Amino acid sequence: MHIPDGYLDWWIGILMYVISGAIIAYSIKKVKGIDTTKIPLIGVVAAGIFAAQMLNWPIPGGTSAHFVGGALAGILLGPYAGMLAMTSVITLQCLVFGDGGISALGANIFNMAIVAVFAGYAVYSLLRKYDIRIASFLAGWVGIWLAAIACGFEIGFSSIFAYKIGITVPVMAVWHGLLGIVEGIITMAVVAYVTSYHTKVEPKEVPA
Amino acid sequence: MKKAYILIASLIILAPIFAWAADLVGYSEPLENAAEEAGASEHGGAYHGIFPDYTLPGINPYLSAMIAGIIGCLIIMGVATILKKFKHG
Repeated sequence: MHIPDGYLDWWIGILMYVISGAIIAYSIKKVKGIDTTKIPLIGVVAAGIFAAQMLNWPIPGGTSAHFVGGALAGILLGPYAGMLAMTSVITLQCLVFGDGGISALGANIFNMAIVAVFAGYAVYSLLRKYDIRIASFLAGWVGIWLAAIACGFEIGFSSIFAYKIGITVPVMAVWHGLLGIVEGIITMAVVAYVTSYHTKVEPKEVPA
Repeated sequence: MKKAYILIASLIILAPIFAWAADLVGYSEPLENAAEEAGASEHGGAYHGIFPDYTLPGINPYLSAMIAGIIGCLIIMGVATILKKFKHG
């Protein structure tokens, strides 16, 4: 789902930089008072998500996709720290490994570090009182699905895609709707594992 | 925390296996499918990163995926360590 250089019209690229930049600034403000002992945890979650994103799950039929981890970051770290962890992963992928274009970095952060994290966190918060497993599965699934739809709109509004929003949005939504099942299962497994260790893992606002 | 490091290490070790399996089915992302269907082609930018596509020059692609994973994780945890020091400072 990493948009490369050359896909987005310049104004979309800049708009997404501005939106993402504002949300990053707000998130930094929100986590300012964070307990410094939690910073290594944020680093470890970010590193784990980076490593997990490197694994491409082969899907018979010629598609493969990787875990994104936005919802997981939001659930484990709270939405603001989770958003910043995902931003660091996506920025690293872009600057060091050329995964996702620099002109599209704002858009990629918006899709995977903002939409996936906040939507995933919201779904989890709403449903966890019923069942943590179902809540985390749906958080992962909804997070990646909405991120894909956001991506579909961004490329669909661009001239190189001939403004074919009628194609880009459905293609992204259908594929990632299916691939989101893998995202949901991994999110559920990790959250279930972590909660089994700490009997009370509430999704935390950091600072909590 | 220790378990988390073990998990990260195992993910990195698994990276070459997944890379091989993804090659087997033919790697394409939905974003690429969308581009194809809309008739868009990637006219790549000028910048391709320090290690483009998680490969290191002159090293077997599967091995370099693993090394890239290690480098990436070290950078992220390094930044976290610096931030922590900084906030303590």
